[in-house]
Amino acid sequence: MTLLFKNILAIYQRELQSYFASPLPYIIAAVFWLLGGFFLVAILLGPQGILAQAAMADQAVQMGMPPSPPFDVAYEFNKAYVGLLGSLSMFVLPMLSMGLYADERKQGTLELLATSPVTNWAVALGKLLAVVSFYLAMVLPLMVCQSIALGAATPPTGSGVFLLSHLGLVLLAASVLALGMFISSLTESTVLAAIMTFALILLLWLVDAVAQGLPGVIGSAIAHLSLLKHFTDFTEGIFDTGGLVLFLSFIGLGLYLTAQSIETLRFQRS
Amino acid sequence: MIEVEHLSKTYGSTTAIQDITFGAQPGEILGFLGPNGAGKTTTMRILAGYLPASEGTARVAGYDVHTDSMAVRQRIGYLPESPPLYPDMTVQGFLNFVAKIKGVPADLRQKRADIAMDHCGLTDKRKVLIRKLSKGYRQRVGIAQAIIHDPPVIILDEPTVGLDPRQINEVRQLIKGLAGSHTIILSTHILPEVSMTCDRVTIINRGQVVATDTPDNLTTRLSGESAYELEVKGDVDRAQRLLSELAPVRQVSLLGPEHLPEYHHRLRVSADADRALGAIMSAALINAGLELHELRRQQATLEDVFLNLTTTEPATGATAPPEALTELPTVEPTPEESET
Repeated sequence: MTLLFKNILAIYQRELQSYFASPLPYIIAAVFWLLGGFFLVAILLGPQGILAQAAMADQAVQMGMPPSPPFDVAYEFNKAYVGLLGSLSMFVLPMLSMGLYADERKQGTLELLATSPVTNWAVALGKLLAVVSFYLAMVLPLMVCQSIALGAATPPTGSGVFLLSHLGLVLLAASVLALGMFISSLTESTVLAAIMTFALILLLWLVDAVAQGLPGVIGSAIAHLSLLKHFTDFTEGIFDTGGLVLFLSFIGLGLYLTAQSIETLRFQRS
Repeated sequence: MIEVEHLSKTYGSTTAIQDITFGAQPGEILGFLGPNGAGKTTTMRILAGYLPASEGTARVAGYDVHTDSMAVRQRIGYLPESPPLYPDMTVQGFLNFVAKIKGVPADLRQKRADIAMDHCGLTDKRKVLIRKLSKGYRQRVGIAQAIIHDPPVIILDEPTVGLDPRQINEVRQLIKGLAGSHTIILSTHILPEVSMTCDRVTIINRGQVVATDTPDNLTTRLSGESAYELEVKGDVDRAQRLLSELAPVRQVSLLGPEHLPEYHHRLRVSADADRALGAIMSAALINAGLELHELRRQQATLEDVFLNLTTTEPATGATAPPEALTELPTVEPTPEESET
């Protein structure tokens, strides 16, 4: 057991180290932070922003209009912003997962891993943990900025919804990364892996749209399987065990498919 | 230490190796020799547990490479055809990583890495990124990662590819130094490598084993027939007749008169192996009053064995018996005796 843990740790460290050796992760993080920061300001202070909407609602009440439903600025801001980070991540995640196995295959290092006393599972898990850690490192500074903005709210808001929504964000990212890792294990080309992962994300969006559009049992059945639907629930502060199970299932599925794909690779290699 | 029995591997309809059987004793260096595309890499990959065999069994250190894969992986060091390296790591960082996944205990890692780097001449490159290393150095890092955990069995797939002659020599010395405490199997298509480093050779061609023996035995196998070249001056017909009458001689043929002075003739004699034949022939010629200007014995090299074994079409797919292949196509002359 400790040996397994050590192996996972070794893979994890190597993978994490590789993010510092290549310029691509820096660029990805920089763009993510730039856009994340821009939207933080835009959503909060922009002409159509949350604060502007709140001011308009106040004005309407003062002008004698019937009062609209109560408007929780902090809650609406958190929901809008984390939802946006989710959408933004969808463009970034394929770039993070594309090289996980494709590079190993290209460099021939898969042969080293496959002939070392390490199971495919340990390799896949170590890699997934590393890439999720990197994603977490990308989200953390934006969380700090956001919490500063939220800290200015009167009356003060609890941190529950804020943390829950970010947990949902990371779970969503981990699910997509796990599936992206599987896609990466299918090809030697990182570009192809990125494109295919993005196609998968489009499919997730499609599933979400279909779930919202279809009425009745079928619609709700699909909605139960939609990652984005459950992510939206998390951003709204709704904690649903079903959602957690779904995310974890997708992560498990990604790991399983990756391990199997590496195993079959050895059988078909010519 | 390595036992391979009736191993076959097919990719779809193409057969990479077919019914291969060989073995290596503990502490031995086994050379796996064959032309490109003979199935060397496939065999190495099966031994390392990277590829499953279609048929047959391969056992390393007593464990089946397929069913006991993890046990085998712990006991082998493997250098694939192209060294598996992470270009963005330093030599030391990479070796440390390999030591980790090979299960070297934390307190021994630094020491093992130092030893491996020292063996492979990498000590002054330890802080260099692998991306910036030349091909020769990368190959050395590849060898270093194969020996870092001090495995009992080392599998090297063409270890000297891409090295310059001095490095090749160093690597051969390194491999020789590892023998005894390690069992080594190395594949190569370079003949001198085998005769210099290996205790035994398995020659493979078109996926089949054509011979397994020591390099010396393989060369003497061909010496069952020996060939001489003579340069005589005078009555060449008489010389031919005289030589043909000698007991061990099978055939005497007259070669072209190129680059020869007038009245000089060159003869080629093929005969059964007989160490004294040179002396007998020279005595016979001189006693008959002919001038013998040159006499040399032509000895088969491992190269000839290899060419013989690998260039002959195997009849009906079966392994051709080496005895049937003793006709030398080209023989490198090795001057042994000469008289004027």
